[in-house]
Parts: sequence; C-alpha cells; structure tokens
Amino acid sequence: MKFCNIVDLFYEALPLSRSRDWLIRAHVERCPRCQARLLNRDEARSLLVAPAQLRGAADLWQKISAQAAPSVPGRETPAARGAVLWRWAAVTAMTAVMALAGFWLLRQIERPGLDGVEIAAAQRFELDYVKVGGAPAQTFVYQPQGTDTVFVWASKAP
Amino acid sequence: MDEQETIEGCLRGDPVSERAMVEAYGVLVLSVALNVLGNRQDAEDVCQEAFLQAFRHLARYDRERSFKTWLLTIAYRRALDMLRKRRRFREFATRARFEPAATGERREPGPAAAAPLPSKLLEALSPRERLALTLWANEGYAAKDISEVLACSASTARVYLFNARRKIKALLEKDHEILQHR
Repeated sequence: MKFCNIVDLFYEALPLSRSRDWLIRAHVERCPRCQARLLNRDEARSLLVAPAQLRGAADLWQKISAQAAPSVPGRETPAARGAVLWRWAAVTAMTAVMALAGFWLLRQIERPGLDGVEIAAAQRFELDYVKVGGAPAQTFVYQPQGTDTVFVWASKAP
Repeated sequence: MDEQETIEGCLRGDPVSERAMVEAYGVLVLSVALNVLGNRQDAEDVCQEAFLQAFRHLARYDRERSFKTWLLTIAYRRALDMLRKRRRFREFATRARFEPAATGERREPGPAAAAPLPSKLLEALSPRERLALTLWANEGYAAKDISEVLACSASTARVYLFNARRKIKALLEKDHEILQHR
C-alpha cells in the first residue's frame, strides 16, 4: 500500500510520458490494488456509446453519396496523385535551375565603379605621433602626384 | 466483397463499393466521433467529412496498415477540427454577447435523434483520453494501435488510457460516496 502511494507520487512528479509509462508497466499493471483503482472495460463500455447501439448506416450513406460522386473535383486517384507529385518535382527543379543560372550570371557580369568605392591607401594613411630619440620629431609626409605611395620623413627637432 | 475489393472499388469511384465501405465502418466512425465530441449532430458531420476525405485521399492509404485505423485517424482529426471550431464559436459568442442558441444554425433532428449520448463523466477527459478509452473499451485496441490513431508513441497512448481510466474511476467512486452519505 505504501509502495503504491510512492508510485503515485512518482507518477505525479515525473511529467514525461516515457517515465510514466515505465511506472504503469512496472507496477500498476501488476498490482491488484492499483488495478482496482482503474476503470475496467465493462464499466467503460457502460459510459460510452458502442457501435451496436447506433443504427442508421443507410442514412449516413444517403448524406455522403450526394457529395461522394466521382465527378466531385478533388478526388485523388493513384495516377492523379503521381501526376501532382511529378508536377511539383518539375516546378522545384525548374526553380532551382533558374536560381543557379541567375547566380552564375550575376557572378559573370562586371560591375564597373564598384572598385572605385575602395579608398586609396594614401587616403587611408594616418600618422598620429612620431618620436625620434624619445623626443617629438619634426615630421614631413610626401605623396608624389599620381601615385599611391607615401613617404614619411622624420628628423630630430632642433 | 472483402476489404481490399471495396478499397479498389472506391479508388475507381464505384458507388457500390463506397456504400459498402460506409455500411461496414459508418457506425464505428460515428460511435468514435460521438464519444469524442459528445454531440450527435457534430458527430454525424464529422463522420460524413471523414468518409469524404477518405474517398478523396484513398490513394494515400498504405496497404500495409489497418484500414480501420487509417479511417479512425481521419475521423479523429476531423473531430479535433470540430472541437476547435466549436471553441472559436463559443469565444465569438461570448465576446459578441450573443446567445449561442440565437446565432447557431437551427437543424431539424435527424432520424438518429434517438441515438444515445455518452456519459457526462467523459467531459472530465481530454479528447485524446476519450479516444483512447473508446478504442480500448469498444474496439479492444492496445496502446500501440491507439498510438497510431493518435499519432503519438505507444508510451504516450498508454499514459492517456491510464489517466482516463483513473480519472473516471475516481469520479465514479466520488459519486458513489455522495450517494451513500445521503
């Protein structure tokens, strides 16, 4: 009895269905006391509606037949389903080919002016401070016209 | 006409085979829908939709599996759709301060009006638990078969069934105690 209560506690504490299932199989299905606390098949049947209690399959057919006519659009036959799958496959393949071709074309096209956006090395050159022999130096920066080259001349300050 | 012949006939769109299928499984699907939904009219609608969907997509049925289980899976999904629709309608009716009876469709009671309804006790269960209990009690399904209809693992199906059996038993015992103390 105590053990059943411990199992109940574990069941409530472990929300995973796998662990709960293990507890059911390992204990509940073998324990007469726990089985007595469960609804049996006959009790369940008395609460449920059984197929034998129902009639009216003919009525059901009358309602369904009007809508189940073969001419109703949307009915899938194995051939139609195959055709749909092939159509989807073809569309997907075409899209992939077009995307690849577009990508390749974009890579091939030269893009004039794009390189000009890049800033020249001379423009990016920056010198904050120059020291010669531990003391601030006299510094001259030269850039020959028409080139990207930069010369820095530093001499001891007088 | 055996099941395979009926299925072949339905695939060809043969009305005789379709009728045979409805006659073979109609009351079963209706009873499952009724036990899940608790409402006869909705259960009939679900039953019709399930058969129509089955006829439309019969080409997708895997012959390795049980046809009954496949059909019940469709019916269960349609029943869940119906429950969602009902919930949305209830929410709308509450928000709009309408009386549901005034906004709902008025339907003539069908010939199955005398059909029984499942016990109110089942309202304490979730739709999954109700389905698990129905398939176990009425169809003798084991956890593995129930899991196919519910599209879950056998462990999960066993837990749903266990919870359903335990909850209803506890409610029955509570009712019994109340009656004894009166």
